[in-house]
Amino acid sequence: MVRAVHYLNQFFAGLGGEEAAETPPTRLEGPVGPGRGLAAELEGIEITATLACGDDYFAEHEEAALARLLDLLQAEGAELLVCGPAFGSGRYGYACARLAATAPIAALTAMHEENPGVGAAGAALVVPTAVNVAGMRDALPRMARLAEAVAAGRELGHPEDEGYLPRGFRRNRHAEETGAERAVDLLLSKLAGETRTEVAAGFDRVPPPEPVPDLSEAVLALVTEAGCVPQGNPDRLPTIRAPGWLRYPLPDEAGLESGRYESVHGGFDVTLANEDPNRLMPLDVARTLEREGRIGGIHDAFYTTTGNGTPVAASTRFGQEIAAELRDAGVQAVLLSGT
Amino acid sequence: MLAKEIERAGIPTVFVTSLPTIARMIGANRIVRGPAITHPFGLEAAERRRIVERALEMLETHVEPTTVWEAAP
Amino acid sequence: MTAWELATFSSDLLGDVPELEGVDVEIVRPGEPVRITHVLDAVEPRARPDGRPAFPTEARAGEGRTNRLDGVTVLSCLDFPAEERPLHEQESLVDMGGPGADLTPFSRTTNVVLRFRARPQASNEELEAWARRTTLDVAESVARPTLRTDPVEVERFELGPADESLPSVAALVQLSDLGPLYYQYVYGVRAAEAGLPRAIEPAELLDGAVTCGEYHWAALRNPTIFFQQNRLVRTLHDEHGKRLRFAGVVLMRGYEQTAGEKQQAAEQAAELAAGLAADGAIVTTDAGGNSHTDVMLTCRACERTGVRTTVIVAEMADPESTSPGLTDWVPEADSVVSVGNAEETVSAWRPERVVGGDLLLDGTPAAEAGPVPVRNYLGATNQMGQLALTATTW
Repeated sequence: MVRAVHYLNQFFAGLGGEEAAETPPTRLEGPVGPGRGLAAELEGIEITATLACGDDYFAEHEEAALARLLDLLQAEGAELLVCGPAFGSGRYGYACARLAATAPIAALTAMHEENPGVGAAGAALVVPTAVNVAGMRDALPRMARLAEAVAAGRELGHPEDEGYLPRGFRRNRHAEETGAERAVDLLLSKLAGETRTEVAAGFDRVPPPEPVPDLSEAVLALVTEAGCVPQGNPDRLPTIRAPGWLRYPLPDEAGLESGRYESVHGGFDVTLANEDPNRLMPLDVARTLEREGRIGGIHDAFYTTTGNGTPVAASTRFGQEIAAELRDAGVQAVLLSGT
Repeated sequence: MLAKEIERAGIPTVFVTSLPTIARMIGANRIVRGPAITHPFGLEAAERRRIVERALEMLETHVEPTTVWEAAP
Repeated sequence: MTAWELATFSSDLLGDVPELEGVDVEIVRPGEPVRITHVLDAVEPRARPDGRPAFPTEARAGEGRTNRLDGVTVLSCLDFPAEERPLHEQESLVDMGGPGADLTPFSRTTNVVLRFRARPQASNEELEAWARRTTLDVAESVARPTLRTDPVEVERFELGPADESLPSVAALVQLSDLGPLYYQYVYGVRAAEAGLPRAIEPAELLDGAVTCGEYHWAALRNPTIFFQQNRLVRTLHDEHGKRLRFAGVVLMRGYEQTAGEKQQAAEQAAELAAGLAADGAIVTTDAGGNSHTDVMLTCRACERTGVRTTVIVAEMADPESTSPGLTDWVPEADSVVSVGNAEETVSAWRPERVVGGDLLLDGTPAAEAGPVPVRNYLGATNQMGQLALTATTW
C-alpha cells in the first residue's frame, strides 16, 4: 500500500470559507472532504493524512507555510502527495502548485488549465480540471489514475494521452508533413490573418515603459481588478469570469463612500472592502495627493473588472481595450489595484 | 493580465497586489506588495497613503522587468 | 522564363565507380546493419544529356534537362587529420539500422560510400577540396548510364503566370561561410564571395548551383542533396498558381561576422524579397550558433519592410529542462517551424559494421557509441524543412 498525503485549502478541508483563509498549515487525520472521494477511486494507495492551509495565509507567508507543510509532510513518511483539485481558484492553485513543486516526494496536483498556479508547478504533474467545483466528480478519477501511474513508477506517455498538462519538455516526433510543407501552410495562414507557431521563445514579455518624468504634471488613471462597482452592481459585472470590463465616472468626492460602492469579486471576502471601498481603489488618498500637487490630475473615469478566473485571452483583450481608451484620453500613468 | 497590456500600449502602470509572485509570473513590471488579499492597500488611510506613495514613486522610477517593491522601504 | 526538366531514372542504372586513388569505395544498401561515420556530404547522382557539368561553376544551372538517379546517394567520408583547425568539426553519422535510421533519408537509399584516406602531406583544406571535387565527379559519373536510356518520369519546372490575387511567397535560403571547412558554394564560389544576398531561379537551386563544403553541425547543416531535392522549392513550385505565386529564391549568407554586417545583410535580403514583390517569405537556416541570429535579424528586417515571414529552425533544448531551446529569437518570429530538437539523444545501437572510420571524433569506438545526440546525424534536423521531424511539448 503506497502512503499518500492529500493537500486541501481551508474551504475543502472543512475549516471554513473566506473567513478561515488565514488558517496556518494544519494536519487532519486521513482523507477529508473531496479526499474521501479521491480515496475511494485510488487502488493500492492510502491517504493517511490531509494537510490544509488557508489560501490567504499561504499567499502572504509563502516561505513559512511551505516550510511547515513540508515538515508535516515528512512526518507522514508518505511516498506521494496529491494537491487539490483547485479548479479556477488562483490562490489555492498557486499553493497547490508550489507545494507539489517543492515536495521531495512524487507529487501531482489538479486545477483548471488557466489557473496561474499551472506555471508554478515545476516538474510536478498537473491534471486539468473544470473551472469550478462542478468538475469535482470528473476530476477525482482522473487524478486517481495518474496518481496510480506515478506511484507505480510507470513511464508516462504524451500529456494528451495520459491526462496531464504539458510541462514544457520538448520531445521529437515525426510529423505528417515535411517542415517545408508546414512552413508554407504556416505562412499562408499568417498572410490570411491567422498566425500560428510550432515553437515559441518563452513567455510573452513586455518591457517596462519609461518612467513618468514627473507625476505632478501627469494624468493618472485608476483601474481595478477587484470588481469595484457602484452599489447594487447596476450593470451586473459578474463575480467570476467576467466577460468584459466597465467604465464609470470617477466621483468628484474626496473618496469612495461606503454604501455607494461595493466589490463584487467572487474570489475573496469583500466585507472589509465594502466597509471602506477606498481599501480596494484608493481614491481618497489619490484625491489628497492630487490636491497637494503630487499628482497632476486624476482621469475622470475608472475602469473595473473582476480578475477572478478570467481566461488569459479575455483578460488580454480587456487590457488592450482599456489601454486604447486610456491612450486616446491622454492618460500618462495607471495605478492598478488587484487583490 | 491588465497591467501587461496597458504597459504594451506604453503607459507606465504600477500594480498593487498581495500576490506579487503571480504578478511577476504573468509579466507585470512595476509591482508593489500589499498586505492582504482582502485589503491590498491596507486597512487605514495612513497605511493606504504610504502604499500609494510608494506606487507613485515606482511610476517615476526606471525598473528592471517584473520588479516588486515592498510598501515600506 | 526558362524551363528546366528533371528526368528520373531507376537506381538499377547505378554505374560503376571509377578507380580512385586514395579512396575506398563501398556500396551500402538499405537494411544493412552498418554505421557510416565522418560523413562530409551527401550528393544525388546527376548527369546532363547535353554534356554540360551537373555541378557547374560557369554556365547557369536550371536550364535544359538534367538526369537524376533515384534512390542512390553518394556519401563522402573523411576524418580530417591535421592538428590545427580554427573550427573543430563535429561528428556526422548515417545509421542504416537501429533508432538512428529514421532520422535520415539515407538509410533508405543505396549509398555509394567514398572513404577518403588522408594523405600525410596534405593540409585539411587541400584534402577537403579533393574530397569535395571527387565526390561531385563520382556523383556525375555514376549517373552516366542514364544518358543511354529513357527516364521513368520527367518533371518540368517552369513558373508560368499565376492569378494576381494569390499571395506572393519567396524563399530566403541561408548559406554558411565561416572559414575553411565551413563554406557553402554557389557555382563553386564560397558564399561570402558569391555576391549574397542575391536572387536566383528556383531551378538553379535544384540543379546543382549550390554545393556543400560545410562540415559542422551534422543535423543542422545543408548537404548538397538537400539543395538538389529541395522540398521547399518543390512545394512552392507545386503550389504556384494554386495557393500562392512563387516569387523566387534569395540566397543569403549566414555567419556575417559583426553585428553591423549581420544587420546590413538582413536588410539587404529583406529588400530583395520586397523587390520580388513578395507578400511573405520563408526564411531557412543553415547550421547552428550565430547563424540563427542572422536568420532572426532577417525575419525582423522582412517584417519591417512589410514582408511577412515564417522561419524554419531547429531547437537546441536541454531535454531535461523546460527552458525554451531557440538559440536566438526576435518578437517578430511569431511563425516558426521547428524541425526538431537536436539535443535529444538516440539510444545506443550496435552496428555489425562501421564504414568511414572506426573511431568517432571524440575517440569512442563507433560500433559502441550511444546514446548519440540527434545533432550528430547527418541532415536529421534539416532547417530548410526537408524532413518531417518536429518537436512537441510534453
